[in-house]
Amino acid sequence: MTNTHPLIQVKSLDLHFGAFHALKNVSVDFHAGELIGLVGDNGAGKTTLIRVLCGIYAPSSGEVYFDGKKIEKFHPKLAIDQGIETIQQSVGLCDNLSIARNFYLGREPVKRVLGIPFLDFAKMREKSTRVIRQFGLRENVSADDEVERLSGGERQSVKIGRAVEFMNRVVIMDEPTNHLSVREREHVNELAVQLKEQGLLVIYITHDIFQVHKLADRVVIMENGEKVADASTDALTAEELEEVIRQGGRLVEKREAV
Amino acid sequence: MKHLVRSQGFGAIIGVVVMLVVFTLIDFSGWWTIQTIANVSQFTAILAFVAMGQALVIMTKEIDLSVGSVYGLAGVAFITMEPALGVPGSFVLALVVAALVGLLQAIAVVKGELPSMIVTLGGLFTARGIIYVWTGGSVHNFSPAARSHPMTRLFGGELFGIDAAIFWLIAVAAILGLLLWATPFGNGLLATGGSRESAETRGVRTDRIKIAAFILCSLLAGFAGILTLCNQPQTHVTLGENMELEAIAAAVIGGCLLTGGRGSILGAILGALIVVSFRYELIALGAPSSWYITFIGAVLIVAVIFNQKLARFLGHSA
Repeated sequence: MTNTHPLIQVKSLDLHFGAFHALKNVSVDFHAGELIGLVGDNGAGKTTLIRVLCGIYAPSSGEVYFDGKKIEKFHPKLAIDQGIETIQQSVGLCDNLSIARNFYLGREPVKRVLGIPFLDFAKMREKSTRVIRQFGLRENVSADDEVERLSGGERQSVKIGRAVEFMNRVVIMDEPTNHLSVREREHVNELAVQLKEQGLLVIYITHDIFQVHKLADRVVIMENGEKVADASTDALTAEELEEVIRQGGRLVEKREAV
Repeated sequence: MKHLVRSQGFGAIIGVVVMLVVFTLIDFSGWWTIQTIANVSQFTAILAFVAMGQALVIMTKEIDLSVGSVYGLAGVAFITMEPALGVPGSFVLALVVAALVGLLQAIAVVKGELPSMIVTLGGLFTARGIIYVWTGGSVHNFSPAARSHPMTRLFGGELFGIDAAIFWLIAVAAILGLLLWATPFGNGLLATGGSRESAETRGVRTDRIKIAAFILCSLLAGFAGILTLCNQPQTHVTLGENMELEAIAAAVIGGCLLTGGRGSILGAILGALIVVSFRYELIALGAPSSWYITFIGAVLIVAVIFNQKLARFLGHSA
């Protein structure tokens, strides 16, 4: 896996928000077909890092390479066009719009009448209906229903279904199982593994150490805007991983020193 | 039918029906006359243009308080520049002035990240001040030649005894309705108001959409000013005063939520009809005109409560 070139390569990334140093000299490689756990305490810089990857923040200095090419401009639209999809817990769906409209938001299929682009409602409805059935939404939910009606798990399913449908190469999941029931959580985690097996890069952010240890191939630990550890889940147990996070990465340094 | 009931304009449809029933019961002979219907529909058409623009801005979760002044400013530009530019030239200039006001305010709101209520309050005063300076406080008229110009007739004349403004309203409302509900731009606009953050993560250029909404709103207000003056080509410095409040009231009565993402073009038109009808009928019934504003306030509050209850009811029954 690691002998191929990384799909995303982050080199010496720094990000300042005014006086706040949010990311400090972060370097990390991500490969296609990997499921990466990105962990750390609140404010560690996990979400900030992925917001750079999905184009919301531009770094103050440092470089990001996608598929070997340096990213020059950071914008969510460009990231999406390149196939980087982000699934965030509270963001990504507009409650006031139907499932079909949300599904295609930002890249709506159109039918031109006199050169004017009109929404292709038939296509939007048909495709999104197929996906919501496949991803296990209740039978009485239709693609025309507003997202407002959906449960937390159904919302995540719509987002994941959308990520799969658009042939993405990278799916970033930011605490995708928060506020979900046990069964819904299992469903979402199964989907994450499924994405990885299809050859996608999955970056999975969570606070649940045991869950991520079970799911991920590799864990990247962040603290205070720095990457403090980067280890294969085969190399350490979940308990050790928890200890590393508690100690702020010192355990790994000790191990490496030995 | 299900779509109609669930649409944001449904409350306004009920409101219009109730209002018409009440007016019929209390003042049948006064209300259902050609004269009343002609006047109410003419005034409704003008206010509806301003209200539709306001609705678009409110749907993006912003507000535009400057529309009354922009309405006046475009009208003043149209009348006073006519001797120099001719009717078509001053028509274009008036719309450019309106669009420019919208653009400047939008840039302050979007790029400057300032609250639209403050920016457009500034716009309200600034544009009104320019009207005073521009006209020197005096009344300006069209020359007889300009009054009979085909373009003036096109915007201010009649067809089959129906004011041109009504035909323009139908055409523009249909276009705006399609733009809002059936194009990617409209989907992006509703998403921007619904959840700007979510829309941005989908790559929607919410800044551009907000700028477009402000420009459209100013253009519609300016166009309403031109329509009014083509019908009665005389300016005064108070042209369009308080119109922003009526337009916001109309949009809200028509089902626009100030929390963004929800609203309706048809609702804005019906909201305008309710506002104008109340004004007209109160005067017709001999109520002191000063009471009118109070009534609009009461109608607005009742409508907001009604729309909210209706939304909850539909949400639960769905």
